[in-house]
Amino acid sequence: MTTEARVRAALAEVLDPEYPVSLVDMGLVRGVEIQGSRVHVDVVYCSLGCPCIELIEDDIRERLLQLDDIEHVEVREVFDHWTRRDISARGLKLLRASGVA
Amino acid sequence: MDLRRPLGFDADRPDSQTPRVDNAELTERLAQGKLVEGPEYATEDYVKGLTRTLIVSGDTELISAPAYLKAAVHAPRLQSYVSVVGIIQDELGHAHIAYRMLRDLGVDTDALIYEREPSDFRHPYAFDVPLESWSEMVVANGFYDRAGYVLLSDIFQHTSYGPWKRALVKVDREETFHLRHGERWMKTLSGDAATRDALQTAVDWMFLMTLEWFGLPDHLKRHREQIDYGLKGMTNDELRQEWMSTAVPFCESIGIRVPAHHDAAEGTFVIDCPFPAQFDEQEKRWLLEEGEITWDEVQERWRQRGPANEELVEMIQRGRLQRTTLAA
Repeated sequence: MTTEARVRAALAEVLDPEYPVSLVDMGLVRGVEIQGSRVHVDVVYCSLGCPCIELIEDDIRERLLQLDDIEHVEVREVFDHWTRRDISARGLKLLRASGVA
Repeated sequence: MDLRRPLGFDADRPDSQTPRVDNAELTERLAQGKLVEGPEYATEDYVKGLTRTLIVSGDTELISAPAYLKAAVHAPRLQSYVSVVGIIQDELGHAHIAYRMLRDLGVDTDALIYEREPSDFRHPYAFDVPLESWSEMVVANGFYDRAGYVLLSDIFQHTSYGPWKRALVKVDREETFHLRHGERWMKTLSGDAATRDALQTAVDWMFLMTLEWFGLPDHLKRHREQIDYGLKGMTNDELRQEWMSTAVPFCESIGIRVPAHHDAAEGTFVIDCPFPAQFDEQEKRWLLEEGEITWDEVQERWRQRGPANEELVEMIQRGRLQRTTLAA
């Protein structure tokens, strides 16, 4: 598996701080860029000034640093729109199951 | 009667505010596992017990807002401040849910919030002790919000009051975030020699403060209607155990000392110091050297209220004063 594939697989395990849905299924991950042992992750948040930004960044960093060949993680905030249409079909199903969608 | 009505009952219809079933009918309904959708399906005692429980819940959520706001100024970064402000917004939303249900039960919530004496608010004594540092702020998220989560999860699972059960789905998810915020920060502060002692000091007074929050031990408890009517499921002692079952292992995992341990043989958590104990409000220190005190003495301290009580209630009540001044 390429490093990028492993990074993306790891990101798919990082859950939203409130819901049992991954950041990938929430549609928050907008890009992954790898330079050697350094990875940049582009993330969009559900709202400007989202209270969970710090927690999400920490969770991404903690998970990706567990990968053998990753030594530095930078999370970059992307100022873009996020709507519920960005949530994957699986994400919507999980949200419905938790009673909030 | 229409059971399909989605939320509570119509508060504008005066007759719907009157409890209209007798005890046998209510017991029958609860035995069938049916939810109570409004006071017209309950007895007066049920409505009284529910009202009492909702006031405690609403007051606790409400007063946490000014308490956290005062502590948030110690945030180390702007983003950390934003996180706490987000938590405060959630807490106000949770308070609104409880007060909205009280209004549906016929309670004058404007008078309840804006005209009560500070000492009549029913939040726990813990919030009468001011949070004055970032360590205390995040331990409040890790301990107090955990207590809120334990109490509300129990109500969500066991309450027989339909409107509350449905509203708590959202509340539970948000409290998960508060708790994670607290744990994340406690872990960070515990890992740095420069912040570790302040964290331990905060835990030292706030751990026992949260244990006290769950109230009188079961053998001293007078009111039983909360459990008899299925408003909640677990007893105070069971809730205290439930809280320790996650709080104690978490603190152990980050190398922070707490005066409790798990007794494998008994399968319970055991408190390793005098409890309940007397508390020095100015020093924020438990007077453990003076030994165990009685719950009567604890209740006397609660009745006196703590140092932050008046200021926090005043912060809430000032909102109405400003609104009426602007309107004049």
